Amino acid sequence: MASDSDSLTSTDDFAYQNPKASPPETSQDGLKFLTLNESENVVDGELALNQPVVGEGVNGQLVVEHDRGECELETEEPVAGEGVNGQLVADHDRGEGEPEIEEPVVGEGVNGQLVAEHDRGEGEPEIEEQVVGEGVNGQLVAEHDRGEGEHEIEEPVVGEDVNGQLVAEHARGEGEPEIEEQSSSSGPAAMAAVPEVGEVVREISSSVVVHRVNSELEVDAPSSPSSSGYAGERGSSSDSSASGIEEVNGDDIDEAVIPADHSVDAVSDSPSWVPGKRHINETLVYPCKDKCPNSEHNSLNWFTICRCLGNKDDASISWRKRKKHFFVLSNSGKPIYSRYGDEYKLAGFSATLQAIISFVENGGDQVKFVRAGKHQVVFLVKGPIYLVCISCTEESYEALRGQLELIYGQVAQMILILTKSVNRCFEKNPKYDMTPLLGGTDVVFSSLIHAFSWNPATLLHAYTCLPLAYPTRQAAGAILQDVADSGVLFAILMCRHKVVSLVGAQKASLHPDDMLLLSNFVLSSESFRTSESFSPICLPRYNPMAFLYAYVHYFDVDTYLMLLTTSSDAFYHLKDCRIRIEMVLLKSNVLSEVQRSMLDGGLRVEDLPVDPSPRPGSLSPHLGQDRLTTESPEIFKEACLGIGGPAGLWHFIYRSIYLDQYVSSEFSSPLNNSSQQKRLYRAYQKLYVSMHDKGTGPHKTQFRRDENYVLLCWVTQDFELYAAFDPLADKALAIKTCNRVCQWVRDVENEIFLLGASPFSW
Amino acid sequence: MGCSSSLPESTSSGRLDGFSSENVEATDSKNLRVKLVLLGDSGVGKSCIVLRFVRGQFDPSSKVTVGASFLSQTVALQDSTTVKFEIWDTAGQERYAALAPLYYRGAAVAVVVYDITNPQSFNKAQYWVKELQKHGSPDIVLALVGNKADLQEKREVSIEDGMNHAEKNGMFFIETSAKTADNINQLFEEIAKRLPRAPSS
Repeated sequence: MASDSDSLTSTDDFAYQNPKASPPETSQDGLKFLTLNESENVVDGELALNQPVVGEGVNGQLVVEHDRGECELETEEPVAGEGVNGQLVADHDRGEGEPEIEEPVVGEGVNGQLVAEHDRGEGEPEIEEQVVGEGVNGQLVAEHDRGEGEHEIEEPVVGEDVNGQLVAEHARGEGEPEIEEQSSSSGPAAMAAVPEVGEVVREISSSVVVHRVNSELEVDAPSSPSSSGYAGERGSSSDSSASGIEEVNGDDIDEAVIPADHSVDAVSDSPSWVPGKRHINETLVYPCKDKCPNSEHNSLNWFTICRCLGNKDDASISWRKRKKHFFVLSNSGKPIYSRYGDEYKLAGFSATLQAIISFVENGGDQVKFVRAGKHQVVFLVKGPIYLVCISCTEESYEALRGQLELIYGQVAQMILILTKSVNRCFEKNPKYDMTPLLGGTDVVFSSLIHAFSWNPATLLHAYTCLPLAYPTRQAAGAILQDVADSGVLFAILMCRHKVVSLVGAQKASLHPDDMLLLSNFVLSSESFRTSESFSPICLPRYNPMAFLYAYVHYFDVDTYLMLLTTSSDAFYHLKDCRIRIEMVLLKSNVLSEVQRSMLDGGLRVEDLPVDPSPRPGSLSPHLGQDRLTTESPEIFKEACLGIGGPAGLWHFIYRSIYLDQYVSSEFSSPLNNSSQQKRLYRAYQKLYVSMHDKGTGPHKTQFRRDENYVLLCWVTQDFELYAAFDPLADKALAIKTCNRVCQWVRDVENEIFLLGASPFSW
Repeated sequence: MGCSSSLPESTSSGRLDGFSSENVEATDSKNLRVKLVLLGDSGVGKSCIVLRFVRGQFDPSSKVTVGASFLSQTVALQDSTTVKFEIWDTAGQERYAALAPLYYRGAAVAVVVYDITNPQSFNKAQYWVKELQKHGSPDIVLALVGNKADLQEKREVSIEDGMNHAEKNGMFFIETSAKTADNINQLFEEIAKRLPRAPSS
């Protein structure tokens, strides 16, 4: 806890001092990256995303942006204009690490500074680069080089232990002591600065005390023993007067609350996730801004809307606390679906949403999104159906819109197509109530929404395969092909959400989004498990105007067959097909191989073959052989910076563009709890969106370092690679490792991907 | 019924029976194979009745049926004949109402189920009876079933109401409990007895 009063200077001060030194470094860094790339033959000359930002020369924020390689967020900075300045910048910074902070108002001031600190700490990749070169304690040295006082805290932490786990801890540790300082001195100031939210602050401090206790437990539990001292530190300070503010130390708190209080949103993504709606009681903070930050919409009475969001429905304290809402409503404002709460009780709210949409529509325009502080309201209009997402999860507009599109696809798949006259019903009677048509579909929607925070398929628009030996998958493919030739449009064999094999009739190809919606529908509808069934279904990407019939049968708990046909009287034929398929699968042991693969899991970063040269003459070990060897043999451990794979590799996703498929490594330590996995997923999501940003992109490579990870993204014509490393990972080594990952994936591609169904492809 | 009055195009030609014009198919003189469809509001216990009959199980956790599930079970009668029921357990949800013809077309037996604790489901049952009389096979065997008979204290539809309605429409009536297995086998045995027998050749 060596931080002095300097560390309490406002974020602004920091922001405007620092860049003076950093721009040259930044650009140099970009060049360096380029050089590295060239030397590796990794990429052609495209600079990392960072470059354009430097060009913009937005002072102050420069460093931060550079870190994150992200421009849009900062420049949009809506509330900054409103005079909350310092906090605002901070707000976004923090967003990077803690996507789901619940107490936004207080959090803004306090945390922001904190994270800004982080950013600065990590902001000069230049230095870190040197550092890693110097050795493990390099980080420390680097901080001193810069001669900035704030980072003393790191010394003890780094000194204590250098392995991966600890480093992660260190990233956190860095922040928390800081915040204690703040809570005593600058805390009240923050409150004064935002008088209109004063009440909210108080509200938090009361509800928060409980959380804090929990958070300590949680934060420390997964980390190494050496962190206990740090926990104690934190505990003692919790007695300080401004405990409420301290509490707001977003990241860890937010996650920590989860296990203790099963009502929080994030719980829905924990392993114990239960489909369906949940109702909870908790204190609530919902930020209200007087004005819509988007000046175009200032003519709206934003305050009223927010009051509606935040205060009106008093039965729904818990409802308002939710971080991510999804609504489906009719163009007359009738609620159709809401992720949380009772649709009927939300009629007033739903009408408000409709009012926003039609207000803009009347002006001959279409509203895409509205931002209110940390909250973003995203709209999607599909004929008479409106879809709205309200979220404070810091996900980008593009990501949220994509999610709304998928929800609409699910609505279309299950409901609209069965009642084609829905549009006519709406025309005839604008007040037509569509809710009864959705009966029993809650689980399907909640499972899809849940998938938005864990399933890369929702982001990448690609599917993933269950790893299988090539001949095994071939055997499955052969019998499916046989069946497809007899009048089945698609024959799909899946294990949970992974494809075992998939065959389409001539010229028919299945869009990955359709597969996602289909498997989500089947997996979340329990009745399919009971017996074979025959249901009408629509594949919106295949043909949104027609429906198919799906024969669904489970071979065992996880493995199921879907046969799709256009013919409504094909049931008995499909049943016969299934019997034939089942016999072949049993005979050729496919089903038992599938079970084994489920148990064994997929690629593990620890198993990444270590080769001295990036272009090995020999084949990397095969997937099958990998399973036989013990996990992470000695030789790999030496190469590991910490826990995880070589060079601090924690996780990766590789998407093959031609195949429409991706492969994702298994989560392993230190990404072993669901909130960490969700956080990484969100980070990937940001990365994905920034890489595909139509305004500034497309980009080819991006290297981003923050307090949680080093993220590296590499996009070529053939594939996209997203990799997460230890935050202290060395850049050159990380790039090298990415090359190895790609090589590895190529080496085992016939086991992890479904290659062309034609036997000639191999 | 909202939108359900208009049928999706393909259902008009849809046939699931896979049989010839005979709804009751005799595989030989002693063994019959019949298509049976269950209809009724959602949540009345159609799937529970079927699962009790076919597998002898009862799962209190409600699983919403999607589209329709297919199960089969053979009943041996005292006259040493057997009847194989091919059962279509349809989804009770409103959105599938338009697709019901797909499942009941060509059925030899239709079992219309309601929940004795829920008068609305009884109304819905009456709707289905009408629909079947209009569009079902002319010689279809109709059964009206009041399920959840174990919940006597919550009863809202009297036995008399059920019986009257069945009588008026020439239906066979029974109250069952899938939970306690009460009358489940009786229901299917009674149906089997009432099936028109193909003249033995």
